[in-house]
Amino acid sequence: MSRSTMNTALKRLMTEYKQLTAAENDESMFTAGPISENDFFKWSCLISGPTDTPFEGGVFEAELTFPRDYPLSPPKMKFNPPLFHPNIYASGDVCISILHAPGDDPNAYESSSERWSPVQSVEKILLSVISMLAEPNIESGANIDACKVFRDNREQYDEIIRSHVRQQLDI
Amino acid sequence: MASENEIMTDISDDDYSDAFDPDEDMEAEFDDASSISDSGFSPIEPDSHSTGKDPKGKGKAVDSMLTLDNHPGASEKLKEEQKVAVAYVEEMLQLKSEQAAVLLRYFAWKKEKLVETYMDSPESTLAAAGIHENGAQPRLKRVRGFVCEVCYDEMAQETLALSCDHRFCKSCYAQYVTSKVVDEGESRRIQCMGSKCNVIVDEKTVELLVEEEVLERYRSLLNRTYVDDSTSLRWCPAPNCDYALKCHILPRQLDSIIPTVQCSCLHTFCFGCGDADHRPCCCPIVRRWLKKCADDSETSNWISANTKECTKCHSTIEKNGGCNHMTCKSCKWEFCWVCMGPWSEHGTAWYNCSRYEEKGGDAVNQDAQSKSRASLERYLHYYNRFANHEQSIKLEHELATRMEKKMEEMQEHSSLSWIEVQFLAKAVETLTKCRTVLKWTYAMAFYLAKNNHTAIFEDNQADLEQAVEGLSELLEKPLDEEKIAELRQQTTDKTVYVSKRCQILLDDTLRGYEEDRWHWAEAIKM
Repeated sequence: MSRSTMNTALKRLMTEYKQLTAAENDESMFTAGPISENDFFKWSCLISGPTDTPFEGGVFEAELTFPRDYPLSPPKMKFNPPLFHPNIYASGDVCISILHAPGDDPNAYESSSERWSPVQSVEKILLSVISMLAEPNIESGANIDACKVFRDNREQYDEIIRSHVRQQLDI
Repeated sequence: MASENEIMTDISDDDYSDAFDPDEDMEAEFDDASSISDSGFSPIEPDSHSTGKDPKGKGKAVDSMLTLDNHPGASEKLKEEQKVAVAYVEEMLQLKSEQAAVLLRYFAWKKEKLVETYMDSPESTLAAAGIHENGAQPRLKRVRGFVCEVCYDEMAQETLALSCDHRFCKSCYAQYVTSKVVDEGESRRIQCMGSKCNVIVDEKTVELLVEEEVLERYRSLLNRTYVDDSTSLRWCPAPNCDYALKCHILPRQLDSIIPTVQCSCLHTFCFGCGDADHRPCCCPIVRRWLKKCADDSETSNWISANTKECTKCHSTIEKNGGCNHMTCKSCKWEFCWVCMGPWSEHGTAWYNCSRYEEKGGDAVNQDAQSKSRASLERYLHYYNRFANHEQSIKLEHELATRMEKKMEEMQEHSSLSWIEVQFLAKAVETLTKCRTVLKWTYAMAFYLAKNNHTAIFEDNQADLEQAVEGLSELLEKPLDEEKIAELRQQTTDKTVYVSKRCQILLDDTLRGYEEDRWHWAEAIKM
């Protein structure tokens, strides 16, 4: 990887961070920023559970890892601790179309949906993830158990998630 | 990924194809654009090239040795072909040449299909191929107050947009294209960076953006796609070989033709599947056989051959010792291993099951078991022989080295000259080649239904096998200085005989394909 791509990545991440902090307010659904000033390629973000979903009231922590050639390649996103959700692997890794480059489709289900391109951004990723929480896509599931419960027994699915949220908030 | 300076094409021509071309009139049976020539068998034994004796056309099942030319300008020839096609489309559809090239690549160089689809609906065809209708030339431009969406930079640098008008700064574009070309080896499918935009970055634009080195790689990749997309061209699969071969063969012909070709690098392979020479098996059989050997379909056969099922709950049970009074672990059912009947009927008749004849236990079950046992045995019979020859071929590489030593020894201890001891090298070469053929006859025999034709095939196979083993034995013998002349005589004779047997087998088998003489034991999907 050449020096210049790395500089581009760094410059771009700094700008994105600046814009995100500037736009932040009480209404924001998420916050995101580098974990340490020494490493701009690892971000931590907090996402609040969307209203009118079982995730409501919860706050979920995730980590974004950017490649050196960002924004040519997409970052990776991982919930820590993992979330029970059809599109999140048991390890916490998020499987969503916007995080895949076109042509790189592990399940070959996502041809029509939005793919990674250099004009996407952290903001767009997080917004997509929030809408993914509200509306799972069980066509290309990452967690088969979650897919099954979601499809066959919605009430149980909601309950699992609510208890997860309660547990997280310590109530 | 291939190295940067690899320039791929040189199209090879096989020297032999001109030398032995007895059936020139055959060409007409193939696409006449190519000069398919039947060169019968391999270079080792041109004299046993027997297809010439056959009635016209018989040889085509053998191999259609390839062909474009081998002169230094051959890579130019590939480019020339592309240029001609581009010019044709350009003229026909009144498009710019870059557009024509993108369209052709999208349609995998199928001109007729392209023109037809385009005539039906020009707009949607262009859009699908990633060409924006307005066709504006991508040009570098400075735009005041422009903020690039990729690097978020506001500096007034040069910017570029494709015809879709998604504008980014030049350095971002250059980085993007460079990484696509260098890291991903992409060429004809590089798209605009905008999200959901499929407009293709054409050659002219790439020229504007990247460094000379990258551009060269881009062009060579682009050229590569021409061969990859073409059904009548194929790269020689030998390592480090840069030749492409041409052969007009349709996939549906592969069940009766084995298009074996030889590249200028001397690698012989099947044009249909790209695998190493697998005559006399046709591609569908080869695929099936290799799959059978690789996957675990035989595991289930083993299970059914070596285990029995509990007559009550159908758990699979392998008996690895103990008496015949079985108690199923999962359902606690007690039964006799010998007759599979309930143990309660046995009384005290331990180890001595007299009920077998009376009741026969679960007759159907037994039948199925013995059947699958037989099928496993049958498979193993062929597989062992197949694997055995494969192993021998590997060992013969060592043999070749030993032979070289032997040849030196001979030159020292006798009056034979270098050229006179070459018979040993030739014998080893013949041995390897015939073993390869033998190996595949076992795969073929496995799928053949039992009938008279198969019996003939197996006779031929046995003859060849015997001849091959005879030759092999001869070569393994320690060198007796007294008898070098005799050895030479014997080896030469045997080598010729083996080659002949091999040729007979191949000729007959291939003629069989043509006459539709082979009947398969199971339905083979061709």
